[in-house]
Amino acid sequence: MDSKPMQRPTPRANAYVDTQPFWEATRDGRLMMQYCTEAQRFQHYPRPVSIFTGRRTLEWRPVKGDGVIYACTVVRIPGPGLDGRLPLCVATVELDEGVRLIANIVDCEPQELAIGKPVHLVWDALSDGQPYPAFALTRA
Amino acid sequence: MKQKDIVIAGYAETPVLYKSGRSAYDFAGEALDSLLERTGIDKDLIDGLSVTTALSEASNPFYAVYMCEALGLTPTWLNLGGMGGCSATGGVARAMSAIRDGSCEIALVLSADAPSTDWRANYGAFRGEFQDPPGVQGPPATFGLLMSRYAHQYDLKPEALGKIAITQREHALHNPNALSKFKKPLSMDDYLASRVIADPLRLLDSVMFCDGANAFLVMSEKRAEQLGLTRVAYPVAYAEVTNVNGNQSTPDITESGFDRIGPALLRKAGLTPSEIRMFQPYDDFTIAILMQLEAFGFCAKGEASDFVLRTDLSHRGALPLNTGGGQISAGQPGLASGGLNLAEAVRQLFGEGGATQVDDARNALVTGIGVIPYARNWGTSSAMILEA
Repeated sequence: MDSKPMQRPTPRANAYVDTQPFWEATRDGRLMMQYCTEAQRFQHYPRPVSIFTGRRTLEWRPVKGDGVIYACTVVRIPGPGLDGRLPLCVATVELDEGVRLIANIVDCEPQELAIGKPVHLVWDALSDGQPYPAFALTRA
Repeated sequence: MKQKDIVIAGYAETPVLYKSGRSAYDFAGEALDSLLERTGIDKDLIDGLSVTTALSEASNPFYAVYMCEALGLTPTWLNLGGMGGCSATGGVARAMSAIRDGSCEIALVLSADAPSTDWRANYGAFRGEFQDPPGVQGPPATFGLLMSRYAHQYDLKPEALGKIAITQREHALHNPNALSKFKKPLSMDDYLASRVIADPLRLLDSVMFCDGANAFLVMSEKRAEQLGLTRVAYPVAYAEVTNVNGNQSTPDITESGFDRIGPALLRKAGLTPSEIRMFQPYDDFTIAILMQLEAFGFCAKGEASDFVLRTDLSHRGALPLNTGGGQISAGQPGLASGGLNLAEAVRQLFGEGGATQVDDARNALVTGIGVIPYARNWGTSSAMILEA
């Protein structure tokens, strides 16, 4: 029996705040984020209140998933959940909707990874097949 | 503006060790024993205690009270500092307020941690769902992201980071408490050949988690005189900020808390950057030093690489930098890290710097950095100016 822990276990939803809308939408290939109806801005990661107003003026809205690389790195040292994934392309992606998330850039050689490059949403899979958002370079 | 009524009247530091097999309590005991030996004061005069949360004891919510029991202290003021590397300078500042308020008379500011022996921290919150799956679990990945953005917006010269690493290593060679593994000189070739661990971050840009402790005695100047403690350092200005730009979704992540608090801190101390006699900045990664040099106005934004390359940062130089080797070359004793830079500043101001003693050590700028956040700059920035 393989006793090795799963590489990328599916995390428990709602561990911190209600994240059910995020996880449910992944099954339809949609990326949902928290939106403050008062400030009319997105925020990520999900929080118990709007970071703009301090109130629970929040709802979940889909984002299109187009953006650019704001910051990037290639993880080259081992760590939990990284076996067999190195070198791993990681970016802070700034979406057109004005919000950022940390994600993997898939099908990307480390030397191709660069700030300012356009990217689009794709779906990666966690160990048990659960879809998880990632990005790919948008090639002209 | 600046008050000179409270002093740091004693300090102690244990050697930094890797996988010592010992606990934070045991290191704390060693630091207290050394502090009492050096100052000659009676343990029972200590009536205030600030403790820094420890990665190795993070599963215990009553750590600070357990520490009192472990050390046989009965404080009337107790503070648990949860700002990581800002907890030592922050602990001193809070102790000063407590003393001025009359909550205690003599405060011990204590940081001890042993994460290379036992890691018992779980940050929880959003990390499981949003930070772990993309593989951004450790500080190197986050600092790789931060460094990439700095290099995109400004001029980042690897030779400048190399010079910082080499200068600090030279200083560490003379520090008896530095991790023994780091007691060999570095060359620029060594630095440039160092393995990239999270582009563009190299191994030699980074700290290594170790075990260790440090402790400071804080009291009024008058009380120190009564106790015959003649070697003192005056913390004359302190500032901190947490979660800078925390109400924005797309802040400039190259802007740190130090950009916010740096200029006002210098004004409060009545000093200009060129009057700072030594800089003991928190150094988890070399890039953090570049960003701090700019934030405090030692040079303009984006010009830190050139500033480093043209400035002598050795203990004999124009701006002595981390004269004990810093965390990068002495080892990072977990969350007791911030006290390492502070201990070196106090040692210098006491004139006990030994082979790396700075001439005319009349003041020092010390900083702390705490907590690696999600897609932002670091969590807390703290800064203190001390005078001899």
